[in-house]
Amino acid sequence: MRDLAAKLLRLDRRAIFVLIAVATLIPLLYPIGLPIRVSSEVKRVYDHIESLPAGSVFLLSLDFDPASKPELYPMAVALLTHAFKRDLRVVAMTLWVTGTGMAEKVVSGVASDYGKRRGLDYTFLGYSPGGSNVIINMGQDLNAAFPTDHYGERTADLEVLRGVRSLRQVNYMVSLAAGTPGVESWYVYGKEKYGFELGGGVTAVIAPGLYPFLDTGQINGLIGGLRGAAEYEILIGMKGKAVAGMDAQSATHFIIIGLILLCNLFYLLAPRTVVRSFDRAQDGPGSPQEVRR
Amino acid sequence: MTLFLRRTLPLAITFLLGVAAAIQYYIPHPISEGALTQMSVWLRIMLGFAMVLGIASLCQVHYAKIRARIAGWGYSLIVFLSMLATVVVGLWAGGREEGTGFGWIYTYTLLALQGTMFSMLGFFVASAAFRAFRARSKEATILLVAAVLMMFGRVPLGEYLFPASGPVAGWLLNVLNLAARRGIIIGISLGGIATSIKIIFGIERSYLGGRE
Repeated sequence: MRDLAAKLLRLDRRAIFVLIAVATLIPLLYPIGLPIRVSSEVKRVYDHIESLPAGSVFLLSLDFDPASKPELYPMAVALLTHAFKRDLRVVAMTLWVTGTGMAEKVVSGVASDYGKRRGLDYTFLGYSPGGSNVIINMGQDLNAAFPTDHYGERTADLEVLRGVRSLRQVNYMVSLAAGTPGVESWYVYGKEKYGFELGGGVTAVIAPGLYPFLDTGQINGLIGGLRGAAEYEILIGMKGKAVAGMDAQSATHFIIIGLILLCNLFYLLAPRTVVRSFDRAQDGPGSPQEVRR
Repeated sequence: MTLFLRRTLPLAITFLLGVAAAIQYYIPHPISEGALTQMSVWLRIMLGFAMVLGIASLCQVHYAKIRARIAGWGYSLIVFLSMLATVVVGLWAGGREEGTGFGWIYTYTLLALQGTMFSMLGFFVASAAFRAFRARSKEATILLVAAVLMMFGRVPLGEYLFPASGPVAGWLLNVLNLAARRGIIIGISLGGIATSIKIIFGIERSYLGGRE
């Protein structure tokens, strides 16, 4: 038994990769559709959009690049679907240059699904260089920050932006962010000075870092990771990519939990010499070397 | 004269603009707001030049690697080739993506490569979790238990099997995580304020360059 534990402790990582691949693929091919509980932080974003009267200005900043597409793209689809269903005036943009093409696709795609007209019901402002400074610039003068939209139309002439001179006229803003500039930048340089209501949608990795902002009301709601996107899809009655991905996420989480428990079991059973050599090889978090340091 | 241009003038500009920007925030007068509008436009223009500087620096680093044939110099060559190809195709397409080669590069290389890189993380995280998450000390045990509870509570299967895991994960995020994060944010903010004051008053001068 001790020998077996020692062998398994040195398990080839390719075996783990195969396990994860299988755990991801099978639920995607044969979904189970387990119930998803909606959290209060996601519900607050939904409720705020529900409370906006038709014609309100909804600014969506897609501050992410293709690396975060699996988590944030479904979120964008769900939020845009909700906004178009509520007949809000949708103004989309991005602060990440590598996200521009992807952001344009999702905005124009969902808009066409709901028969919305560009320039009248929605616009995509595109990307403007300057990071957080773009937010200040938009807060001061939106037309100066974006003289034209992504398609080359003068923003001052767009019907969808009628009466919107700066961020002060925005009724609700959501930043879908994978880093900086993102939700924090929109709070510090935008909401704090120009007074619009702000919500956030972020990758699961950075979501825990935004809970202090949520607790103080600096952001009114938070959609975190694929789970948050799935919750939003449930709220608007849409079974999209996020809901489909939750079964795969359930399976991979359980595989990882199983691996952790097994490794700890092998660790206890394996001979001390094997454990010591394993420790030296890892030198990872919690290792004796690291603890001494 | 050189010392004046290299040290005194940048320090004076930093002091004046730093103090002006701090005061401006508290004066909502049209003149003050107009100044902020102008400043935000100027900042964006300067960032455009910073981008040029960044690209020049990137080229310098990779050119040095290729010239010295440092291990992995082939990757530096790929950086140059792909950058050149993207710029040429982008200029040829007039910056438009729809139905152009530029759009093709974006969709079939950048989008695919970035997606692949991020997806691979999932596999490495699983492998790392198997090897690193062990109860070797009190701290490691706490981390391990918290990680397992979070992984249970954030997926439907976990909540289905153990209904209490969802609220437990929520409590971990809303109480323990929040308290720790708040402390970190306050610390970072105080550090940021202190550094800003040091820069405005010329105590911190590393931004002037090494020869100052």
